[in-house]
Amino acid sequence: MKRIALTLMILWAALILPVAPAGADDTALQHLPFEQIVEKARGTEVRWYMYGGWAHVNDWVDTHVAAEMKKRYDIRLVRVPMDAGVFVNKLLNEKAAGKQKGNIDLLWINGENFKNAKEAGLLFGPFADTLPNVKKYVDPASVTHDFGYPVEGYEAPYGRAQFVFEYDSAQVTPPADLAGLKAWIMANPGRFTYPQPPDFTGSAFIRQVFYAVTGGHDQYMAGWDADLFAKKAPLLWKWLNEVEPYLWQKGRTYPKDSATLDTLFSRGEVAFGMSYHPSHAQSKIIEGSYPATARTFVLKDGAIFNTHFTAIPFNAPNKAGGMVLANLLISADIQLSKYRPDQWGDFPALDISRLPEADQKRFQDVDLGPATLGSEILGPVAVPEIPSAYLEALEQGWKEHVLDK
Amino acid sequence: MSWISKPNKTTRPIRLMLGLSPLLLPYLVLFCGGAVLTACQSFGVLTPLPHAGGVLDAYTTLLRDASFFASFGFSLWVATASAFLAVAAGAFLAYRVWRLPGRLAPLSLVYKIPLILPHIAVAFLVLIFWSRSGVIASVAHSLGLIREMHEFPNILYSGWGLGMILAYTLKGAPFAMLLALALLARFDIRQIQTAAMLGASGIRIFFTIVLPRLAPALHTGFIILFLYSFGAFDIPYILSESRPGMLSIHVYNIYFKHDLARRPEAMAILTLMFAFAVVFIIAYSRAVSRLENGVRKL
Repeated sequence: MKRIALTLMILWAALILPVAPAGADDTALQHLPFEQIVEKARGTEVRWYMYGGWAHVNDWVDTHVAAEMKKRYDIRLVRVPMDAGVFVNKLLNEKAAGKQKGNIDLLWINGENFKNAKEAGLLFGPFADTLPNVKKYVDPASVTHDFGYPVEGYEAPYGRAQFVFEYDSAQVTPPADLAGLKAWIMANPGRFTYPQPPDFTGSAFIRQVFYAVTGGHDQYMAGWDADLFAKKAPLLWKWLNEVEPYLWQKGRTYPKDSATLDTLFSRGEVAFGMSYHPSHAQSKIIEGSYPATARTFVLKDGAIFNTHFTAIPFNAPNKAGGMVLANLLISADIQLSKYRPDQWGDFPALDISRLPEADQKRFQDVDLGPATLGSEILGPVAVPEIPSAYLEALEQGWKEHVLDK
Repeated sequence: MSWISKPNKTTRPIRLMLGLSPLLLPYLVLFCGGAVLTACQSFGVLTPLPHAGGVLDAYTTLLRDASFFASFGFSLWVATASAFLAVAAGAFLAYRVWRLPGRLAPLSLVYKIPLILPHIAVAFLVLIFWSRSGVIASVAHSLGLIREMHEFPNILYSGWGLGMILAYTLKGAPFAMLLALALLARFDIRQIQTAAMLGASGIRIFFTIVLPRLAPALHTGFIILFLYSFGAFDIPYILSESRPGMLSIHVYNIYFKHDLARRPEAMAILTLMFAFAVVFIIAYSRAVSRLENGVRKL
């Protein structure tokens, strides 16, 4: 019996102990001129793991991006749908098992998941600052931090999103600010709700209320301050608890995720939807699940925006290919096609004023559709994301003070 | 094992272990390995991020959190109610099916359909049929039983987990039936005929003759169904309400949607659930054997 136990322990150790550290190849890759990286990647296959819940985004990647990769670099693009939390855990397990050759070449990632991945040493880099399109078109100041966490070149920008509310213009007139929203909720019981944090969209909604009821975002930008949080958070709990009895199902339950809220909104059970993607409502109209009269609006108190990124895992089998794809994604052509509402409608992460004039014109000519707000409305109310320590504390506090109170 | 001429007393267990190794090894490495890793991580050992606090931090956090106990209690309620209903319905239906005349027997195969359906499909069925904008509400509305759709009882959001209990019962009852029918197949129908001739009522026959015979299968069924609904994730993911939450949803949220530093907390919940399952099985079997010792065997 002892011998068996010993054998098992050895087996077990072999499974969990990490093997040799990453080779010198990776360091070389970071200093190689980009043309040589492209040459290295030519004719290979790149596996891109990304959120797969949006059919139109999947289509865009499978057709447009894949075709460009094939045409320009003779690289075969394989899209693998997976939630970010899941692939971070997959990489954690691979790292714990010492697997030096994984099967992911590029990740679509940001915020909490990026912080988790970088802290656990799951990412290859820095690589982003060596990409030609990042150097040429991206405003460096716009990508130093991701949810208050330093990026340091471990991820390359790829799109921008901003929080908007959705409503049916044939049914309601939207409120102008948060006070107006509260008054509306109380006057129309059962017709408003938000997805239950830690859902991405629901969590963004409470952050936005947090900014608005505690005097703006500036005070939080310096990083985590426990005293400040203890002083300010009760104002948020008070606001949320005051409206709770007037929410959908009397606030006894919340939609599990934003897709559930979308369904409630499209069935007319609630009067407002919400999305972290300004063009989400337009896509839903095109898809046929929202009425053609659906529109979006922002509150005067501010609308949170963030940048989403791509990153390369520590054990990516084709890092050169991952870099080529990350670079292509932030090119003017791809960003433009991504911006079109019939493709995806995701906002560009590059600084349009840095583009050649002809390209600038092409961006200005894109018709976003009637439901999507233009940058002249979104720009002035844009407020940055909160550092992720606050995000975690808000989600935990919401459970404690609103859900379980 | 006739080909082993003279089994030596000391080598026999080793031989046996070797023979079983194709089964034992995956079990030990994958299942026990996973359980050990889970327990380790709950103590802050081998976590993805170095763990800063003490060994029992995750457990003290949990045990101080009233909402953890609320979730635990709620999971217990859902599991107990659904397992009991499934076993009760299963026993009764099995008995009725068994008494069916021979030519109707093939029809009873219908009961096997929910066995084939995955849990998640049953969850969707419940959602489609029982929500306030669902099929049953629509039918009741068009029959004039209710004037407005929202007069339909709010079953899915009642705060009692009725949607989940319904789904687990639908899924569990045929399983309990299957177990009960296996025992009934060997049951001598003359016992029932004798009892009926002596003037026992149908109800009395069921409770004093049939049910004791079915008991072993029903107890096993209850344990399996109880533990499954106590820990499973798929049906709660579709049908659970925000409060009180099921434990499995709580673990999922901490594991996938929160800071990695909270991994020990998720693992501590899983460890506690596992420990509870073990304690439950032992306590339940003891209680059953004590009960049975008190009853005169037929």
